[in-house]
Amino acid sequence: MDRLIAIVGLRLKLEARAIAGSRGRTLGLLLALPALLVFSGASAFGAFLLVRLASRTEPELLLPVLSALATLFGVTWALSPLIAGMAATETHDLTRLVPYPVPLATLVLSTLSANLLQLTVLAQVPPLLALAVALGGPQRSPFAFAALALGLLLVVAVGQTVGLLLHALSRNRRLHDRAVFLGIGLGIALSVMPVLVLSRGGGAARRLLLTLLERDVFALSPFAWSVRAAVHAGRGEGLAALAFCGAVALALAASVGVSTLVAQRLYRGELDLGEAGRAGAGRARFRLPGAIGALVEKELRVAWRDPRLKAVSLGGVVGPLLILFVLGQGSANGIGPSQLFAVAQVAGLGVIGASDALALERQGLGLLLSFPVDRLALLVGKNLALVVLRGPVIVALGIVALVYGGLTAVPAVLTLVLLTQFLASAADNYLAILFPNPLPAAGRDPNAPISGTRGLGAAALGLLAMTVAMAASAPFAFLAWLPQLLGEPWLWALTLPLALAGALAVYFMAASGAARLLLRREPELLARLRGEE
Amino acid sequence: MSESEAAPARDGYAIVVEGLTRVFRRQTAVDHVSFRVARGRFFGFLGPNGAGKSTTIRMLTGLLRPSAGDAWIEGARLSGDLIALKRKIGVLTEELPLYERLTGEEHLLFAARMHGLADAEGRRRARELLDFLSLADERGKLVVDYSQGMRKKLALACALVHGPSVLFLDEPLNGIDPVSGRVVTDLLRRLTARGVTLFFTTHVLDVAERLCDEVAVIDRGRIVAQGTLAEIRAQRELSGSATLEEVFLKLVAADVRREDLSWIG
Repeated sequence: MDRLIAIVGLRLKLEARAIAGSRGRTLGLLLALPALLVFSGASAFGAFLLVRLASRTEPELLLPVLSALATLFGVTWALSPLIAGMAATETHDLTRLVPYPVPLATLVLSTLSANLLQLTVLAQVPPLLALAVALGGPQRSPFAFAALALGLLLVVAVGQTVGLLLHALSRNRRLHDRAVFLGIGLGIALSVMPVLVLSRGGGAARRLLLTLLERDVFALSPFAWSVRAAVHAGRGEGLAALAFCGAVALALAASVGVSTLVAQRLYRGELDLGEAGRAGAGRARFRLPGAIGALVEKELRVAWRDPRLKAVSLGGVVGPLLILFVLGQGSANGIGPSQLFAVAQVAGLGVIGASDALALERQGLGLLLSFPVDRLALLVGKNLALVVLRGPVIVALGIVALVYGGLTAVPAVLTLVLLTQFLASAADNYLAILFPNPLPAAGRDPNAPISGTRGLGAAALGLLAMTVAMAASAPFAFLAWLPQLLGEPWLWALTLPLALAGALAVYFMAASGAARLLLRREPELLARLRGEE
Repeated sequence: MSESEAAPARDGYAIVVEGLTRVFRRQTAVDHVSFRVARGRFFGFLGPNGAGKSTTIRMLTGLLRPSAGDAWIEGARLSGDLIALKRKIGVLTEELPLYERLTGEEHLLFAARMHGLADAEGRRRARELLDFLSLADERGKLVVDYSQGMRKKLALACALVHGPSVLFLDEPLNGIDPVSGRVVTDLLRRLTARGVTLFFTTHVLDVAERLCDEVAVIDRGRIVAQGTLAEIRAQRELSGSATLEEVFLKLVAADVRREDLSWIG
């Protein structure tokens, strides 16, 4: 017990120091606290209202609805590392504790106990209290709350078990890559689904949900058992409440047991997850010519093999298509050429701030800049690679243009998205050189996503770059649009090559300036990446 | 002022360093360091942790801008054309910046292409380097799946693939198994015999004693001694049998604690 208390105390002390020692984290906490309080209060109010309303209007649906909500909450919490890219609570990171002669079950329990004091967990207490009061009134609410608290403990424990399993999987690079790719895909699908479901009226989804509720399918979920125990406790059905609490306790013990077992196998190296495998059996070669060709090919290979980059490249299709979908829903005549052109331009400009040309290099930037390659070639190679990486977006826009605007609209839309993207890349090069994305701190995953760390200066320059790119692309976009406005599609044969050539000329001028800036600022850029400036 | 006017006499020297200084947030990491390394020498740059060795290498290879001072590598001025300087050097830094999602062979081919080698020549050199460093069986594996020792060997291969005239190697033998270590040291010796200049840092002093023609010892950002081991012994009035380790401990005034631990006895 002493060791358990010491480990929990150490964990809390380390977290407090981490927050106090970093202005960013302190500020983040100060910003997150009010939001968390508002969210917690609103959830409490919603939970209370839901139970009271359901008890009066549809009392027979109360148990199925609460069971479904509890299951949704538990599953989302447990799968949060996959869905949101970050765990709702920390997982069992026992790496530093394993060398000490402490039983693994104690270590697992200590991390579980420490997690109960995390803000995300504490924020669940007000909604649970409100739920308990709504279910049991003043007399029986303590019993209802005890059952709900046990359920929360189970959710946190299962979340940790899932985290530990994911940690075990991450020891095999290929499994880790697949998990990351699927996780990002799942996240994108979940974020798009509500829009799609709501835009179609949600009829089928509602029918499916009603069927599941009528059959009380969620009663089988262990996450629902504590809610059912609380409902029974609120109704004064002590035996049923106790039975469900016992089931939750068993599930909790099972979760801790699985965690201990996985930890034991994981840290003793018994978890054989197989070989990492090879990327290619044949002889390697770079097919594209010159330094630019090698750079483009390198970028494409790296992006294809990096699950995050691959998922982001493929997922990039979603944004423009979603805009077109929403525009199409709002218009009786579907998507018109003006909307197509506007979305193509927005898709091209979307490069700014989102696709830092040098960020893909990460640790490799020092290596790349150690090569005696013309810096213009280097930037052009990276910008070209970005065009190819955004290929899925471009192809998707081309297909949409074909469907809604006919064959004649396709070259115009593609030219517009390409020329805007080249000009946006040219502007974004300055942003990448002046405000590089810093590398993850020593000891952190070097491939972890980086965002929000470039500061206000970068945001201001990003805005400026966006304005400049829009202004620079305006005449060429107008050229691409003109035949449509005049109703003379044959003019595209003249205006499109002109627009593209003009945009490329501007691109090369801007890229040459950026290359000179890069050469001048290379040491500063590397120092800034390493956090030395 | 023209480049030649500013440059000190540097005939016969591969590396000339004049007053190189680097200050990080008011803390001086490298303090007016000056030294010269003759062409074809195996030059050991030694010092305790945090003495400024890696910072000096990063400055000399154009990866970090000096706060003051300048250097000339094979005649190419550090504050001048960096691309020209980078053509002449090969670098192995402590961090081993590698592209994790390329295979070892792809990585070497990419490095060769970036140095402007023709494809056939790049492939030939990549194959020979992979064989030489016992990475041939792992050539198809992604770098992310390489062990630390394998990464070090690959980074070394990348530094060598274009045949540089000056090699900067920061702890090249760290993490490499003894067999590969022997292969690497033999290779480095052969390179110096052919006129390549080696600027080399290590913590393993007996390796430095065995390999280096000349050493410089840096401590708290300043050079405290430079020359052959015999010259340094003579400067510090140490016995002729003093090892490099003894000389080093004396130079950096190391406080080697002799007290016993109470529970060990």
